[in-house]
Amino acid sequence: MSAPTDTVARAAGPGRATGSRGGHLTRKRRLFWPFMIPALGLYLAFLVLPTLATVVLSFTKWAGSGDTPEPNGVDNYVQMWNNDSFQYSFQNTLIYVFAGGIGTFLLAFLFTMVLRDMRGGKAIRAILFFPNIVAPVALGMFLGFVFKYQPGKQGLANFMLEHVGASAAKFLDPANVTWVVTASIIWASSGFFITILMAAVDRIPPYLYEDADLAGASPWQKFRNITLPLTWDVIGVAGVLWTINALKIFELVFVLAGPGTYSPPNQAWTLGIYVFDRTFGSNGTPDFGAACACAVAMIALVSFLVVLLRRLMRRDVIQF
Amino acid sequence: MATVSFRDTTRYYAGVDRPAVDGLDLEVADGEFLVLVGPSGCGKSTTLRMLAGLEGVDYGQIHIGDRDVTDLPPKDRDIAMVFQNYALYPHMSVGENIGFHLKIAKMPKAEREKRVRDAAELLDLTQYLDRKPAKLSGGQRQRVAMGRAIVREPSVFLMDEPLSNLDAKLRVQTRTQIASLQRRLGITTIYVTHDQVEAMTMGDKVAVLKDGLLQQCDTPIGLFARPVNLFVAGFIGSPAMNLLPATVDVDGVVVGGTRLPLTTAQRSGLTSDKVVVGVRPEGWDTVDPESGITGVVEVVEELGSDQYLYCKSTYGGPDQVLTVRTPGMAPWQRGEKISLTPKAGAVHLFDEASGARLMDS
Amino acid sequence: MTTRVMTPPPPRVAKPVRKPPRKPKAAPGSRRLSPLRLLGSVIVWAFTAFNILVLYWLISASFKTPVEIFTKPFALPYQWFHLGKPFRNFVYAWNNAGFGDAVITTVVLVTLATVVTVAVSAPAAYALTRLGVRGSGGLTNVIAIGMGVPFQTVIIPLFVVMSKIQLDNEYGLFFIYVALSIPFTVFLLTGFFRSLPDELEEAAAIDGASPTRTFFSVMLPLARGGLITALILNAIGLWNETLLAIVFLKDQSSFTLSRALFTFYGAASYQSEYGGLIAGVAIVVLPMLVLYLLLARRIITGLTLGAGK
Repeated sequence: MSAPTDTVARAAGPGRATGSRGGHLTRKRRLFWPFMIPALGLYLAFLVLPTLATVVLSFTKWAGSGDTPEPNGVDNYVQMWNNDSFQYSFQNTLIYVFAGGIGTFLLAFLFTMVLRDMRGGKAIRAILFFPNIVAPVALGMFLGFVFKYQPGKQGLANFMLEHVGASAAKFLDPANVTWVVTASIIWASSGFFITILMAAVDRIPPYLYEDADLAGASPWQKFRNITLPLTWDVIGVAGVLWTINALKIFELVFVLAGPGTYSPPNQAWTLGIYVFDRTFGSNGTPDFGAACACAVAMIALVSFLVVLLRRLMRRDVIQF
Repeated sequence: MATVSFRDTTRYYAGVDRPAVDGLDLEVADGEFLVLVGPSGCGKSTTLRMLAGLEGVDYGQIHIGDRDVTDLPPKDRDIAMVFQNYALYPHMSVGENIGFHLKIAKMPKAEREKRVRDAAELLDLTQYLDRKPAKLSGGQRQRVAMGRAIVREPSVFLMDEPLSNLDAKLRVQTRTQIASLQRRLGITTIYVTHDQVEAMTMGDKVAVLKDGLLQQCDTPIGLFARPVNLFVAGFIGSPAMNLLPATVDVDGVVVGGTRLPLTTAQRSGLTSDKVVVGVRPEGWDTVDPESGITGVVEVVEELGSDQYLYCKSTYGGPDQVLTVRTPGMAPWQRGEKISLTPKAGAVHLFDEASGARLMDS
Repeated sequence: MTTRVMTPPPPRVAKPVRKPPRKPKAAPGSRRLSPLRLLGSVIVWAFTAFNILVLYWLISASFKTPVEIFTKPFALPYQWFHLGKPFRNFVYAWNNAGFGDAVITTVVLVTLATVVTVAVSAPAAYALTRLGVRGSGGLTNVIAIGMGVPFQTVIIPLFVVMSKIQLDNEYGLFFIYVALSIPFTVFLLTGFFRSLPDELEEAAAIDGASPTRTFFSVMLPLARGGLITALILNAIGLWNETLLAIVFLKDQSSFTLSRALFTFYGAASYQSEYGGLIAGVAIVVLPMLVLYLLLARRIITGLTLGAGK
């Protein structure tokens, strides 16, 4: 609150029961800690402290319960880096973040061009959004049926392929599954990003598009000269959200690529699966130290990508 | 340069049975400044947007010059439009804004920049070319919007209430600037406003619309002197014309002690013996109390050059308020009795039922 | 310049009586098809149709036998209806996946966790936005950063500590759910509280209401829309949450729905019980679908509001 309004408020309310506004403000400020402590306490106890603990534990050798953590420097990180499974996980996660992100945003951009002045656009947005409220586990299982390969009992995708005379494809083979998952993620999450971007597009004054019509601008020129620059900030936020979400992908891949109860083949892993597998994995004994190292790698990657994205997207604030 | 003509142009909106613009027939001469005026919802903006190509035309045609542009996309119509909110692109500098249409039209950069510079000079914007619109004042933004229209060198300018976002003083100033700029460039201009003062001061011709129907299109003087119906009579002129009910007999009609005979032509326009007599505030003479319409001065508005008296009267019905213009600094006081009679030749007669003017010839 | 003296009064009667067109004409040029627009439209419609098809497939398949599912994916279900046991798949899933217990656990856990989350977050969001305490902005950002922390990062320490104090069960999960929902909820609610006008709060203060009372009887009711949105979004998120449930719930009797479905998946696909499996998926998805159909607008605006800032 700025000083002038403060003065005005004081001048406007003399003879108030509580005395001066200053007194009231102090009384209000006394509420701050009682109101903050429950949320802040839980936040510190369940998010901040465990994260710090994870960072510390990542520098120890620790198999898991029953074992005691012993410091071993950066050994975990070195071993992790040289580990096949980690390399697959790292590679796949980057594919999901970048290929999935580019795909999702290109699709979302294309949709903003069409949906802006389309009748029934609101209903279409609601339908596109729908996969976002489905549990990733359920989505993974469902997509498992869609991409199922078993002659005679083909899933939906192969059923259609065979119907048009093409031969069925082994979508969920470790060699293909990364790209199938990428496509699935684009399908499932584009609705969310389309909705965010469209909400921003709806805030652009329509007369700018009308002026572009008078100029004879093509849809691409309108997108390039109006939509893109005026939704830039929202695109930046959406990009951050995408990065965060894509980095923690776990259930969808776990269920879609594997048999369900235990880990899928490691060519299909994500960093999330790597952590899970090293913690509770059926493939070999647990290795909490390695899991913590990978978790730290995840958080480092998120931070790096988010900071990078914000840096790349930075520009002057535009008012309209 | 070009003429503009609307031929039976009609526009409907989805779900509304009454057309927004109903069978508009209107001719605009080459180089003319035509103002479309009317209360909100009268169809004036729709008319302009149809001409711009931002709205479809359901029936009828629109011609610019000898071309039928009814189904042409906006960019092929050779027009430029100034929007009410100026529609400046917030992320582009003033120069980029002015040159945007030329850039879309793929004009070579050198020529584009020259045209932008010329327009900026004409509008006194040269020093602001690198600024963003957010850093400009309202009047400057308005000029940028004008500049963007001018660089296109169109054959028709369209302006949709371009002054409504300016404060009162700037509006009067800009009004004259736009009018003189238009005269200088000689480009046919269609200008939409809801403000009748703007319409009367700027237009070569003024078209009054109401409920999608064209009421009258005439010069400002013509509109003022001979309004064709009660709506135009009440809408044009400020303060509005006094409208008093009266009855016609064989000798004509009596208003405030003055007897006005009706011509044959006027009688032929009658649908009954009920008429409405219109007298502008400046059309009154004050007379002896016995002979005129009597009233009591309720409010005195002193403008310096003029004075407006709002008088309460029982003439023709209870609570009739009569507006009278008298010279400025006149000694009228609140509560004084006044007696009025119309000046010779200052009376407008309308048929009460149809609202149409009783034409004298 | 020609000066026509006067146009005649509108010749209203002379005009042909027109019927308004069924659809007013579009602006010329707006229906012009550019390749990009054409491509976009095709993709939009294909995408939309695909989503509807997928939903149809899911619901119809949950009433089908495996043979029907794979050989007639688009036909209406027949076999189980013919045999008079239309809900056979649902019954199978319900009994074999232990959904009976799971539904109760999930509903209780999700309800309590969302209510407590909002109850804890609302005062914090209020304190951060409206008390004018220095450093509030920074603290808000610190809490918002929590949204970016992958759960995998905190799992191991939490798991170790929670098992040590024997909270590796639904009670422990309750605390974790509440704590991990706080960053998003606080972030969402600060937006709502920030948008409220100052005047009402000041009016309440002038009337002599204490700050606590002002919060409960003026600000909370005003932020009701935000609170409801926060409840719904958290409910959806926690209903769908699986990773933490897998880690912290060991006992089949305390499984949540998504956790139970996870276990059921392996078993049912091993037995080729595809109908039952899809019915299981439908049981998890349909309540959210109903919620979504009822509240789509609020869910969408809530999520985009949280993101658009």
